Amino acid sequence: MDKKILILTIVIAAAVVLAGVATALYLRGGSGETSVGYVTMAPSLMDGWLAANQSDAYIAWEPFVSSSVVAGTGRVIMWSGEIMPNHPCCVVAVWEDFLDRPDGEDLAARFLRAHMEANEWMVEALADKDGSNYTLLLEMSAAFTLRSTAVVEEGLGHVEYGYEMDDEFLSALKQFTEMYLESNIITEQALTDLGYASVSDFVEDYVDESFLAAAAAVEPSDTILNPADEDAIRLGYLSGDLHQLAQYVAQNRTVGGGEKSLFEVYGLNVDPLPPYINGGAVMDGFNMGAIDVGYLGAPPAIQKHANLGTPVRIIAQANSEGSGIVVHVHSDIHTLEDLVGRTVATPGESSIQHLLLKIALNREDIQFVKA
Amino acid sequence: MPVSSAAWTKVKESVTDNWYRLVLGLVSVVVFVIAWAVVSQSLADAGSSLSPYVPSPRSVAEAFVSSLTEPVPGDFRMGDMVASSLIRIFWGFLLALAVALPLGLVMGSFRAAEAMGRPLVEMFRPIPPLAWVPVFLMVFKSFWGPIAIVFMGVFFPILLNVMFGVRSVDQRLIDAARTLGARRGAVFTKVVMPTIVPYMMTGIKVGLGVGWMCIVAAEMTPVLGGTGVGYYVWLSALSYGRFDYTYATMIVIGLLSILTTGVAELLERRVSRWMGMR
Repeated sequence: MDKKILILTIVIAAAVVLAGVATALYLRGGSGETSVGYVTMAPSLMDGWLAANQSDAYIAWEPFVSSSVVAGTGRVIMWSGEIMPNHPCCVVAVWEDFLDRPDGEDLAARFLRAHMEANEWMVEALADKDGSNYTLLLEMSAAFTLRSTAVVEEGLGHVEYGYEMDDEFLSALKQFTEMYLESNIITEQALTDLGYASVSDFVEDYVDESFLAAAAAVEPSDTILNPADEDAIRLGYLSGDLHQLAQYVAQNRTVGGGEKSLFEVYGLNVDPLPPYINGGAVMDGFNMGAIDVGYLGAPPAIQKHANLGTPVRIIAQANSEGSGIVVHVHSDIHTLEDLVGRTVATPGESSIQHLLLKIALNREDIQFVKA
Repeated sequence: MPVSSAAWTKVKESVTDNWYRLVLGLVSVVVFVIAWAVVSQSLADAGSSLSPYVPSPRSVAEAFVSSLTEPVPGDFRMGDMVASSLIRIFWGFLLALAVALPLGLVMGSFRAAEAMGRPLVEMFRPIPPLAWVPVFLMVFKSFWGPIAIVFMGVFFPILLNVMFGVRSVDQRLIDAARTLGARRGAVFTKVVMPTIVPYMMTGIKVGLGVGWMCIVAAEMTPVLGGTGVGYYVWLSALSYGRFDYTYATMIVIGLLSILTTGVAELLERRVSRWMGMR
């Protein structure tokens, strides 16, 4: 019996030693010499994590880049525009079933008209820093993002607002789609099943420019065209995303001329939903029939439309650029190469920020792996 | 030859009985797969928005087979993820066993120890181990965090079963051994240990099941959950919308769980026989 216990002890000890060696090998392999690790989290948490030294770096949308800079805890090592100039970012998408309503196409065009005017209003307000509109813009940005006016003022300077969808926009979307095909996140088969012949066919069909043209011809309406609660346009957007400020501006009555918001000027009853955590969640909202019009990043819109057939169309841009890689102000990280062996927080694998960082790292032959 | 004829009949009976069971088992599996295929196909035909969430058995099988050799969507490798989950579940399990086994023995043997330990056990045991996810991930980070969560899941089943095992040792056997001149150590190895092994193994098997639950849930927390099979279930479904791979990963988890429980069962038989129980 004693001998047996001895043998058992030896066997257990051997198993533990073996597992220890395996673990050591695994842990060394995980933080390799040529890779950068990532975790994913809500951008509104990232500045706090960095300040508390809980993460080495993060990439996020504004104002969560500038929030660290203004607080004196973070330093930007690269802006997303340096990775890909004028890269598309957020878009406006509309649910196909909403368009099938008798008044759907008209309401979508009207929504887009308000979106366009809100964009123009923002660009003008940003151009005149002494004007009262600029002050109002800062106040709205602070209220929407729950960050101070100092933070949003810094952040607004890094976002390019605009709704037009030009050839550069389309070719960037094609590039993103090609990348997703390469990493097998989307398959050729999925595109074929949805009736698309090629990547260009997919992108050109998915992006519907006709609503921008229709919106240009829209006239203001004296009455609200969809007054009933159940007819209201259910609006989806991301939590505190400064890129998606246009919809918040379009809800403001001062912007609309004092009595009506831009949405109301064009006869719309818009019901803003509680904010979504990322673009993938907005696409799930569309898929469940909970959203009529949504603001989200172009990449999640591509992935879930291709893989789940989520019935939406991209009808306008919301912004380009406006994301940045932030490290701690006292960090020894100054370049992408310095990130090797460290961990970066991103808003999620399907986000534009994640994709751009991956593009940038791959250019330097650095792998981007889950930590 | 009546004896061997009776034996032959018995063999024949057992064979037909096993055949019968095998056929019935196969029937239920085949019916399930056909029902799945029918539901998946009719959702696709109806153009239902639920269709992507119920991929066909064939596409799941293809995803499963390809995940064994090819990189899975997003350039991940199934082997890496299995290794990552297995390593952390192993350490969580081992640490829990190393603490729960002696503690269970002590609490089962001494009334004072039981009186002291019981309130703490009853305070923490009802808390689902998954409630520790946020705290442990923040404090211990992506490698040790999930290990700590698995520890919480495995610890209590083993502790309570060992405690119960010690209590159910027949006092008369101990007295008999003492009468025959056995010392304390001998009583422990020859009487107490053989009795508690089956109890302990029950605790281990239950604990392993809970452990898999814990690791999958911990990995589904993308902040600091680390990689692993649970992470990939979450990622392929919610981020990529590739449900064929979601189900394939679920199959992998099921197989791993069967494997670890199987190993535990094998050990139980071995150890019981060694200890002279069977």
